Amino acid sequence: MSTSAARDLAAILPEIIVTLTAIAVLVIDTLLERPRAKPWLALITVAGLLLALVSGPITTASGTYFSGFVLVDTFTTFFRAVFIILAVLGTLVAPEYLARRRVPPGEYYATLCFSTLGAMTIALSNDLITLFVGLELMTIPIYVLAGMQRHDRYSNEAALKYFLLGAFSSALLLFGFVWVYGVTGATEFAKIGPAIAKTGLSSGPTLIALALVTVGLGFKAAVVPFHQWTPDAYDGAPTPATAFMSVAPKAAAFAAILRIFDGALTPLAVDWSLVLALLAAITMTAGNVVALAQANVKRMLAYSSIAHTGYILAAVAAYRAGAPSAAAVLFYVLAYGVMNLGAFACLLYLDVEGTRGATLDELDGLAKRRPGGALAFAIFLISLTGIPPTVGFVAKVFVIQPVLDAGLVWLAVILALNAVLAAFYYLRVVVHLYMYDPREGLPRLVPAPLLSLALGLSAFLVVVVGVLPDGVYAWALQAAAPLVFR
Amino acid sequence: MIDHILTLLVVIPLLGLVPLFVFMRSAAAVRQVAVVTTGVELLLSLYMLTRFRVGEAGFQLRESAAWLPSLGIRYELAVDGLSVLLVAMTTLLTFLAVLYSTKTITHRVGEYMASFLLLEVGMVGVFLAIDLFLFYVFFELMLVPMYLIIGIWGGSPRKLYATLKFVLFTLAGSLLMLVWIIAVYLASGEPGARTLTLPALLAVRDRFSADFQFWVFLAFGLAFAIKMPMFPFHTWLPDAHVEAPTAGSIILAGVLLKAGGYGFLRFALPLFPWGTQAWLPVLIVLSVIAILYGAVVSAVQRDLKKLVAYSSVAHMGFVTLGIFVLNAQGGVGAVLQMLNHGIVTGALFLFVGIQYEKTHKRLIADLGGLANRWPLYTAFFGVFVFASLGLPGLNGFVGEFLVLLGAFRFNPPTGPGGLTWGPLAAIGVILAAVYLLWMFQRVMFGVVREAYRSLPDLSPLEVACAAPLLVLTVVMGVFPQPFIAIIEPSVQRIVALATDPALALFK
Repeated sequence: MSTSAARDLAAILPEIIVTLTAIAVLVIDTLLERPRAKPWLALITVAGLLLALVSGPITTASGTYFSGFVLVDTFTTFFRAVFIILAVLGTLVAPEYLARRRVPPGEYYATLCFSTLGAMTIALSNDLITLFVGLELMTIPIYVLAGMQRHDRYSNEAALKYFLLGAFSSALLLFGFVWVYGVTGATEFAKIGPAIAKTGLSSGPTLIALALVTVGLGFKAAVVPFHQWTPDAYDGAPTPATAFMSVAPKAAAFAAILRIFDGALTPLAVDWSLVLALLAAITMTAGNVVALAQANVKRMLAYSSIAHTGYILAAVAAYRAGAPSAAAVLFYVLAYGVMNLGAFACLLYLDVEGTRGATLDELDGLAKRRPGGALAFAIFLISLTGIPPTVGFVAKVFVIQPVLDAGLVWLAVILALNAVLAAFYYLRVVVHLYMYDPREGLPRLVPAPLLSLALGLSAFLVVVVGVLPDGVYAWALQAAAPLVFR
Repeated sequence: MIDHILTLLVVIPLLGLVPLFVFMRSAAAVRQVAVVTTGVELLLSLYMLTRFRVGEAGFQLRESAAWLPSLGIRYELAVDGLSVLLVAMTTLLTFLAVLYSTKTITHRVGEYMASFLLLEVGMVGVFLAIDLFLFYVFFELMLVPMYLIIGIWGGSPRKLYATLKFVLFTLAGSLLMLVWIIAVYLASGEPGARTLTLPALLAVRDRFSADFQFWVFLAFGLAFAIKMPMFPFHTWLPDAHVEAPTAGSIILAGVLLKAGGYGFLRFALPLFPWGTQAWLPVLIVLSVIAILYGAVVSAVQRDLKKLVAYSSVAHMGFVTLGIFVLNAQGGVGAVLQMLNHGIVTGALFLFVGIQYEKTHKRLIADLGGLANRWPLYTAFFGVFVFASLGLPGLNGFVGEFLVLLGAFRFNPPTGPGGLTWGPLAAIGVILAAVYLLWMFQRVMFGVVREAYRSLPDLSPLEVACAAPLLVLTVVMGVFPQPFIAIIEPSVQRIVALATDPALALFK
């Protein structure tokens, strides 16, 4: 093997480890005879993922690899860590549910790892082609995860809807990439920028390229009006899958958005930032208003995740504020990932035979039935609302700062008002958790040690990073540095 | 000698949470932990008072550390004459509220006491923080525990409506304030030199243009006006008070409402003199409306607790009037009025609660003749009612008198001055006498109902809860000078900052 090939492979060591983990899990799954041994698969997956997490900083140096298709920088490192953290949490919350619902665990964890691999590929893409491959590698396993509960018609519906609209949006995005290539003659981000600066937005093809890319990525991130797949897909999918797919693909979509808009399309920033600001305002408002009307908590969280897309998009739109804008996106994506995954996963406590565990009534009095779980749920909800001392609060502060700095005062005000709307429906869940007595005749809750571990860890992080956010924020600033003003 | 007193004040209730969670299963142990924790906190705040140097206007006992170095946001705690007594009042009222709750709260005691300790962190922190960001964090931290206290241990099924209304009103104001706090941060300097620490902000306040201050003051004012609450943002208050458990009402009226008035004096006035001037006429009018409206509405209440709640609206009207007449008498009166209202209205809610515990009736029409059976109760309650209506010799008088004095001296460049607003506000004092005495007469005198004949008078615990408040009511009424000596220098400094002649506001 030549040294350059070795160098290239060393650069993607974390990705290789994740791949090997997925394969190992599949193999070990076939060797494990007794169903009682299956929870070990989750721990093997977690071990592999953690190994990938620590391998990144050890082996990889910044730079481009694979003839310029792959770029490793602080941005890559940050998102690798985000995806792995989310994958670890997504794995830990699943085992008890999978056993109850007879979903094959080996395939579940392996699929989740492959999806994570796709997301990581997006983070290290330096080229439209790598990015598109990563996007597909991330999304296709998610379709599978959504439909993994084969005998459940909701799960089938979720998978099909997600697949059809996902495929549609991929096609649009790819078409957009083709136009970009047609206009600029390049697929490498670094070359697109200078080429597009010459054409400007006055040329029709550039406009079409920009529009198609915006719409395609808008679908992936669930930006209104490209969000219609979200509620059904999130509601119907198995809850652990929902928890993961509500955060990781969104994080990946924003990794792509930052790479493309802040990186490649910088010369057009004046034009697209206003479009994104408008989309952000519409997205957060529509998501929150519709979430207000939901009695099903899973659907409510689905709509609220659309609202969070809007908040993150606001930070992207504040491009003019420089590095703090991208850093706000990164911080918010991580914070949102942990708290939203946690919030969905809290519903798993209630997901026992005979119920889908998702209506407000079923949550009544959870504080008495399972005090720890209810406390974690309340912490996630308060964090999603954006009340201190939680990470959700500081994340909003970090978003509002560049938005104001970029002169988008109206957007900051809309954001604040939206947070009040959101408080109404998030805190209504807390009302049911704490202020109602449990209904008669509810099925008994079953113990779920791994789920409790994951939720305890997430809730702890939500509060600790909420009180001491500087380390993570400094890291996000560092990760944003190579991105902006390239 | 104890170092880091202020940090300890913030941390002690948090430390109390540890044994609380360990003994969560035992209600008795939880009660002891909560009483001891709030008791230690009270003693520490009294020790802080002994360390406070009276007569200095600036910040004392300051503690400072980097918190968010990437943004230049700092952990800054300090006290001055404005805040030091409010901190002591907070720890006292929390201790008494927890003490009283040991008897009245019987279900989910662990969660209840945990909420109170968390609430105390927020309340103490609000009065100690001199970094705007830190202040905001503590300001919001008070929200969730009070939300739980009203929602879980409140009265009727309407409590859920009341508690959600309380939270949404407060959040609507504070989130908009957050946007403008960040705007202030961005305006405070070039990247790398930005700050939200009060002394540093005061040094750069020339950077805030008049136009900018107009909007900032609007956002800050809205948040504080909702918290106080000022007319017409007061509608959450009666609902929240009626539904809250007694201890919750004591804290809500005694401490939480003060965060608004304190916020005006601490941040809005000194930082944004132009904004203050721009909104002054509106705020003065709203204050006088609150005084009159609160009094009139109190007079027609049938529910005892609602009556006390609406009287708070009127009393807070005196506070804002005192603040916005922008002179030292008014400012000192406003701070005294905040302290007095905390003590007296806290006590009134306590006594309404005690009475409700015994009779299970809150409508004035259902009560009557209690004086015949409860001499001790009547004596205590009477003193607090008289203090609330501003009888000379009790603390309520001093604050209202100073506020009215300040109001009469109010002399704005344009529009109606002190001779318009002073007399109007004075009518509020008379109305207060009317509705409070009328209430007292209907509840305490007359023929005693058969059902109440066998009910016992105050228990030792109830006396223990009320006695410190009674002593303070009398002491602050008879010897207000030591308290004024603490408050005055700092308030004078704030008023001077808000009316700096260099700003050419007063020609």
